[in-house]
Amino acid sequence: MKLGTAATGAALLALALTVSACGSSETTGADSSAKPAADAGAKGGKVGIDFPRADSDFWNSYNKYVPQLAGELGVELMPPTNSQNDVAKLVANTQAMMGQGAKAIVMAPQDTGAIASTLQTLENKNIPVVSVDTRPDKGKIFMVVRADNKAYGTRACEFLGEKLGGKGKIVQLMGALSSINGRDRAEAFGACMKEKFPGITVFDEPTEWDGTKAASMLQTRLQQHPDVKGIYMHAGGVHLAPTLQVLKAKGLIAPPEDPKHVFVISNDGIPQEFEAIRKGEIDATLSQPADLYAKYALFYAKAAIEGKTFQPGPTDHDSTIIQLPNGLEDQLPAPLVTKENVDDKSLWGNQVK
Amino acid sequence: MATTKTTPVATLPAQGRRFQLGRFRDLTLVPVIIVLLIVGSFVDPVFLTAGNLTNVLQQQSALALVVLAEALILIAGKFDLSLESTVGMAPAVGVMLVIPVAAGGFGLELPGILAIPLCLLVGGLVGAFNGFLIMRFQLSAFIVTLAMMIVVHGLQLGLTQGKSLFELPESFLYLGSATWLGLPAAIWITGLLFAAAIVALGYFRAGRSLYAIGGNADAARAAGIRVERVLWIVFIIGGVIAALAGVLETGRLGGISANQGVGWIFMAFAAAVIGGVSMDGGKGTILGALTGVLVIGLVENILTLKGVPGEWKQLVYGSIILVALMISRLAGGKAQD
Repeated sequence: MKLGTAATGAALLALALTVSACGSSETTGADSSAKPAADAGAKGGKVGIDFPRADSDFWNSYNKYVPQLAGELGVELMPPTNSQNDVAKLVANTQAMMGQGAKAIVMAPQDTGAIASTLQTLENKNIPVVSVDTRPDKGKIFMVVRADNKAYGTRACEFLGEKLGGKGKIVQLMGALSSINGRDRAEAFGACMKEKFPGITVFDEPTEWDGTKAASMLQTRLQQHPDVKGIYMHAGGVHLAPTLQVLKAKGLIAPPEDPKHVFVISNDGIPQEFEAIRKGEIDATLSQPADLYAKYALFYAKAAIEGKTFQPGPTDHDSTIIQLPNGLEDQLPAPLVTKENVDDKSLWGNQVK
Repeated sequence: MATTKTTPVATLPAQGRRFQLGRFRDLTLVPVIIVLLIVGSFVDPVFLTAGNLTNVLQQQSALALVVLAEALILIAGKFDLSLESTVGMAPAVGVMLVIPVAAGGFGLELPGILAIPLCLLVGGLVGAFNGFLIMRFQLSAFIVTLAMMIVVHGLQLGLTQGKSLFELPESFLYLGSATWLGLPAAIWITGLLFAAAIVALGYFRAGRSLYAIGGNADAARAAGIRVERVLWIVFIIGGVIAALAGVLETGRLGGISANQGVGWIFMAFAAAVIGGVSMDGGKGTILGALTGVLVIGLVENILTLKGVPGEWKQLVYGSIILVALMISRLAGGKAQD
C-alpha cells in the first residue's frame, strides 16, 4: 500500500463522503478520528506478529494482551513468533510469516537499523508493517505505535525538578544506549534539566537495562554523593527492585516530608511500581501503556489490510499521529501516576494479575 | 623461553619483583591491584573509604562465587558455561516452590525456610546432570555446558513466563542483605568459601587431586585417583556454589529478574584467567582467581566514580582487562596458556 502524502490526501478527499457507506467490519469504537478511508482492495487476511522478547515484565504483559485483543478486534492472528531480542531471528520469523501468507505484519524491532532490508522486502511484496515501541531508521512503515519517549524524559525531569526545588543532585538510571527509547528518554531528560533546572546536577548511569549494574552503580554513587535527592529510573521492570534494596540498605526509605526522603520516579507502570507508590517507597511512575500498544498495533494492522489510510494530526484516543520520513507514527499518551491516581482502574498496571 | 628476552625491557624493579613473586604465581595481579588503588584514590576521594571498598566487595561477592566455581572446574581440566544460568534459575525455582500462585509460584507453598536449601539442591542437580552427560556420555564439556546454559536459562524463562519475581520470602533475602559484625553477610560467606577452597586445594588430598586430573587425567587415574567421581563431585559443587551466588545476588537486588546472571560467564572467565587459572586445566590457584575478581570490581567501581560516559565504558573496561593481563604476564614471567 503506497502512502504518499499527496495520494493519501486526494484519496481522503475523494472517499470522505463515501466512507460512512463502506461497511467495514466493526472496529469496537476504537476507530481513529484520523479519518480512515477504505479502498476497494482486499479485505480480511491474516496478521503475522512477532514479539520482541519474553523476559521483561512489560513485554510479557504486551504478549498477553495481543491474542486477547485480537479476539475483541476481530483480527485473524497467526501464531505469534518471538525473536528474543535478536534481529537475525526477527528477520527469519518475518520471512516465515511471509511464506505463510501474512497480509500485514506487526513487529517491534529492538535493533532499529538492521531491520531496513527486511522492511524493503516487505514493501516490495506489498505487506504493510506496524512497528510497536520502536521506530525503524529506514524502510517503509505503515504506522509506528509507541509512546512519546521524549515526553517521558521531559515529564520525569519536570517532576523531579519541582520536587527538589530546582537544586540538588539526581541519579538517572539509564537503559541501553543502543535502544532508541533509552536514548530518547535520556536526551529529553538531560536537555530539560539543563534548560529548566540548571541548579541540579545529574549523574548518568548506563545500566544497559541490567538490575545488577543498576544496583552497583547506584550504591557507589550514593557513597560518593550521600546528598543525592532524586532518582529517575528508565525501566521499572529492571530498576525498581534493585533501587529499593539499595535505598533500604542505606535507610533512605522515608516519607516525603522527611528530609532524608529521596524522590524516585520510574517508567513503565507495572503493578509492582503501583504497589511501591501505594507504600510510599517511590513517588511516581510514567505508565507505558502495554494494552494500548497491543490494541493499536492490531488496529492499524487490520486497517492496513482493509486499505484504510491515515493522516498526521490528533486522533480520538488522546494521541497524535506525526509524519516520519518513512511512514507515520501514532504517539500514544502516557499518564503520570502518583499516589493520587494510582488506584485508577483504567491504568493497565491495575488490570493485570 | 621468550620471557628472558622480554623482561630486560620491563625495567629493573620488575626483575626484582619477579624474583620474589616467582614463588607466588598466584599473586601476579597484586601490582595491578596496587596501581588501581592508587589511580582510584586520585579519581575520587571517596574511593579509598571503608564504605566504598565494602561496597565493591559486596557488589562482587556473587560474581566471585561464580568465579570460584569456574576456577575449581577449570583447574580440574573441564568447562562449565551453564553456571551463569544456574545463578538465575536455581533461586527462581527455589522461590517458586514456596511462594503462592498469586505471586508467581507453583502453588506448592512449601515452608519459606526451605527456599534456600531447595535452591542449592537445584544447583547441585544441574551440576550432576552436566557431570552425567560429560562423564557417562563422554561428551565435550564445552558443548554440553553451552547447551545447558541455554537449556537452564530457557527453563527459568519458561517456568516464570519471563516475569520477574518480586514477592520473595524474607528468609531468602536475608543472606544477600544482612550485615554481620559490620560487614555485609555476603562478604563473609564469600570470604569463608574462598578460604575453604584455598585450604582444600592447597593441602588436602581431594583438593590436590584436581590439579592431578587437570594436568593429566590418565596419569591421575594410573595413580589411583577416581577421576570420574572427583570430576562429578566438582561439577556438583560448582552448581551448588553458583546457586548460592544466585541467592546472594537475589538478596542484594530484592528480586529475581528473568535475566539474572546472563552474561556473567564471560566476566567469570576473564577474572579466572587474568588471575592465572589456565584454560587447559591443572594450573592456577583460587587465591589468584580471587585477585582477578578484585581487579574487575575495582575497575568497575573506578569507572562509575569517574562517570565515564556509557558509550565508552565497555571500551575502557575491556582495555583495562587487557592491560591487567599484560601486567600479570610481565610480573608472573610465565607464558600464558
